[in-house]
Amino acid sequence: MSEFVEECRREWRRLGVPDAVANEMAADLTADLEEAEAEGGSPEDVLGNSAFDPRRFASAWAVARGVTGPPVPDRPRMWRPPVAIALAVLLAMVTVGAGLVLLVGYRGHSFAVAVHQAVASPGSIRLFAPGPGRIAVPGPPFAATQITGVGFRPLALMLLIIGIVGLGVLALLYWSLRSGHRRNRGDGGRQTASWS
Amino acid sequence: MAPDPGGGALQNKLADGSLCCMGNQEGRRSQLLRGVLDLCLLAVMGDGSAYGYEMTKRLRARGLSIVGEGSIYPLLGRLERDGLVETRRAASNGGPPRKYYSLSPEGERALEAGVKEWQVTRDAVDGALGLVKTEVVL
Repeated sequence: MSEFVEECRREWRRLGVPDAVANEMAADLTADLEEAEAEGGSPEDVLGNSAFDPRRFASAWAVARGVTGPPVPDRPRMWRPPVAIALAVLLAMVTVGAGLVLLVGYRGHSFAVAVHQAVASPGSIRLFAPGPGRIAVPGPPFAATQITGVGFRPLALMLLIIGIVGLGVLALLYWSLRSGHRRNRGDGGRQTASWS
Repeated sequence: MAPDPGGGALQNKLADGSLCCMGNQEGRRSQLLRGVLDLCLLAVMGDGSAYGYEMTKRLRARGLSIVGEGSIYPLLGRLERDGLVETRRAASNGGPPRKYYSLSPEGERALEAGVKEWQVTRDAVDGALGLVKTEVVL
């Protein structure tokens, strides 16, 4: 009988059951087994067929009491924390970078329009920035048009969309895995509690 | 009118005993008890608070032996976790302190609702199986 309880203790230790709870369960079990033995009974009278599988019995009892969770399957390799964090940071950088490019490009576009208007006016060398005040730009005015190049905008827009969608998918997967993990911990007891 | 082939097959299975082979009788009994053992435990707690083995003995006194089945401890753990039972630790007839389980108000309501549900289910199953003539071997 004590061997059965010792085996249970080992399983509870392995499952991370707090010592106080393990001691309480072990004491109750020992007392019941000793009472049955004193009455001429067997461990089966107390435990049913669980008397032949202490580890399973101990695990089921601990799970039912909610003092440990059922084994959680390993996460897919790509969702190991460092990889997931690196991916999230990369996507965030892409999103922010693309957003900045688009923002600057938008202002630059207005700026470029102003440049064209300024160049179109004969004899004018002043450029008008979108905000208040005036800016004198050295060098040929068409350089500004090239810098704020229209060719960057579709690429930046695409990267922005990829970044936002990627972050969204990443967040969805994260919460899905997290809620699945919680569900496993929460329902494990109900699934295994009836008989063990 | 053509004879019912399904009914004939059922009668044949009953006659040659092969229906029992759909699952052994112990397995079926275990499956049946699985759904109502929590109610049985709540019911024996209605006789007064009791510790684990004491409840096993009460069940046995009512004709429900757990030999060959599982233990009641995980189920007691779940009932406690769900708030259907209240627990206290007290000495038992000069023996070591034991954990005593008793019905909580929520447990009493669950027992009442569960018994009604069981009776409805039992009556429905009796309606389906009651007309089948067979020897019941316990």
